[in-house]
Amino acid sequence: MQKTGKFQKIINPVLAYLLFVVLIFPYVIMILTSLKSKEEVYSIPPTILPQQWVFTNFLDIWEKVPLSDYLLNTLIVAGGATVLTLICAIPAAYAMARMKFAGKKFYMYLIMITQMFSPIVLLVGLFREIQWFGLMDSVWGLVLTNAAFNQAFAVWILSGYFSTIPYELEQAAWLDGCTKAQALRKIILPLALPGIITTVIFVFIAAWNEFAVALTFISTEEMKPLTVGIYAFFGMYDVQWQYVFATSLVAIVPVVILFLLIEKYLISGLTAGGVKD
Amino acid sequence: MNLEKIETKKSLAITKQKRVPKQRKSQLVVPYLWLLPSLILIVVVIIFPIYELFSISFSKISLSGLKKGFIGWGNFSNVLNDPTFPLVLKNTLVWTVGVVGISTLLSLGIASLLNQEFPGRRLVRSALIIPWAVSLIITSVIWKYILDYNYGVFNLILMKLHIIDENIYWLADPSISFPVMIGVGIFVTIPFTSFVILSGLQAIPADLYESASVDGANRWSKFVHITLPLLRQPLTISTVLNTIYVFNSFPIIWSMTKGDPVNQTDTIITYLYKLAFMSQKMGEAAAVSVISFLLLLVFSILYVTIALRREQ
Repeated sequence: MQKTGKFQKIINPVLAYLLFVVLIFPYVIMILTSLKSKEEVYSIPPTILPQQWVFTNFLDIWEKVPLSDYLLNTLIVAGGATVLTLICAIPAAYAMARMKFAGKKFYMYLIMITQMFSPIVLLVGLFREIQWFGLMDSVWGLVLTNAAFNQAFAVWILSGYFSTIPYELEQAAWLDGCTKAQALRKIILPLALPGIITTVIFVFIAAWNEFAVALTFISTEEMKPLTVGIYAFFGMYDVQWQYVFATSLVAIVPVVILFLLIEKYLISGLTAGGVKD
Repeated sequence: MNLEKIETKKSLAITKQKRVPKQRKSQLVVPYLWLLPSLILIVVVIIFPIYELFSISFSKISLSGLKKGFIGWGNFSNVLNDPTFPLVLKNTLVWTVGVVGISTLLSLGIASLLNQEFPGRRLVRSALIIPWAVSLIITSVIWKYILDYNYGVFNLILMKLHIIDENIYWLADPSISFPVMIGVGIFVTIPFTSFVILSGLQAIPADLYESASVDGANRWSKFVHITLPLLRQPLTISTVLNTIYVFNSFPIIWSMTKGDPVNQTDTIITYLYKLAFMSQKMGEAAAVSVISFLLLLVFSILYVTIALRREQ
């Protein structure tokens, strides 16, 4: 940390608080709008604070749209993608951290290539494949897609964590008669827990927030996740902003809390891939 | 890939026997077994669609989506002859360079701000997390409402502060809406970038600055000679990842202008989405995807070459 001059001591906090205001501004507007009446969201000139606080908006949204379905679908997509990602990434990350084999570089490049793409660039090809699998309009298509596109990140961060764990601990377990898989389960995984938690939360949030694939693959209202579901309030002629934002708040609160929980680990995780090799 | 599959089958056979004598041979295949689930997932969901894309891009595609044989470069020449395509490419470049470049500059300032002690620092850091955690589509939709001509508070606030005399159509004219969307792009890109740079700043030992002060270095020369060189790695990471994310970004433009008026604010990503799922021109959309694929590939190769050269 640098020493700061007197002028800096005054101006820095001011700038930081200004930044704070800019950062939370849209989300404050979102919350305030979610508490306005139908008429007030279309008043000219607009209001900032609600003239009348309509808390019932948060009850209405559950009846106007299949919100509990949206929420459940989002949970299945985010939870399913997280589990599938881990099932595939943990053994791969372990192999990358601990084993020597021909083609290791090849797998690394393959992972790096997958990180280059968003699903949208591949959507035309992916769309046909999901059709063949009969997974159109199903949450499982989204689970599969999200798990695959988060695979690179998960393998990077996990193998980074695995390789920090002393090899001797594992060898001791083998001497005691553990197999590789048992040693992984009993020694490595508990010690790599911070890394695993970071991966879990990060993948969960990424899948929770995903929009483009869900927009393309899902057409039935009851199958939609939250991110696509908010569009139910976009009518032909007007948008029911108060409901859009009340629903958005339901979608936002869990992930913001999760993100704050892993704030400390996030950066070491995200940059681990680039730092290695 | 086939070889690996064969080897895997072999290893399954081997592990079924008592593995004492053949340990060494089975050891050779074990790593591939551990990689297998991950490989299957990637090959099925990412590599195969890439192959599909190339195949579709050279095929004639019926309206119902069936491949009707090879047509060579037909889809590509249709795309390249579309008068809006050069504009779409230009927009993609402006969008990517604008968002990544300005975000990086601002984040350098924000990170050094947050690297200093002041009351409420934790709170500001936490606020910086929010635009990162919230779904891009939701943040974009909020900005769309805030920027609305009649009902948005942005015009209201600017009027009250006497910065503007009359309301502005922020999302109608492309010469205004495109920069505005770049602004939203910057808003959501800053958190990640700042946190990466901040972690880099925190790794710089304080005594480096102290000894530089003893040598009479001013703030600027300390920044240029100590901070920037030591931030090289975090800056490289954030720039590469941001370039990929921002190039691929879809929700902001999709929700705010849908690329309108007439493709004026499309980037290659929204352009290809509309070709595929609104105009049902799968062949041409696949050609655009292949072009995006190649652009990303060129970028990655450039990056690797530059990174390797610097390393030496």
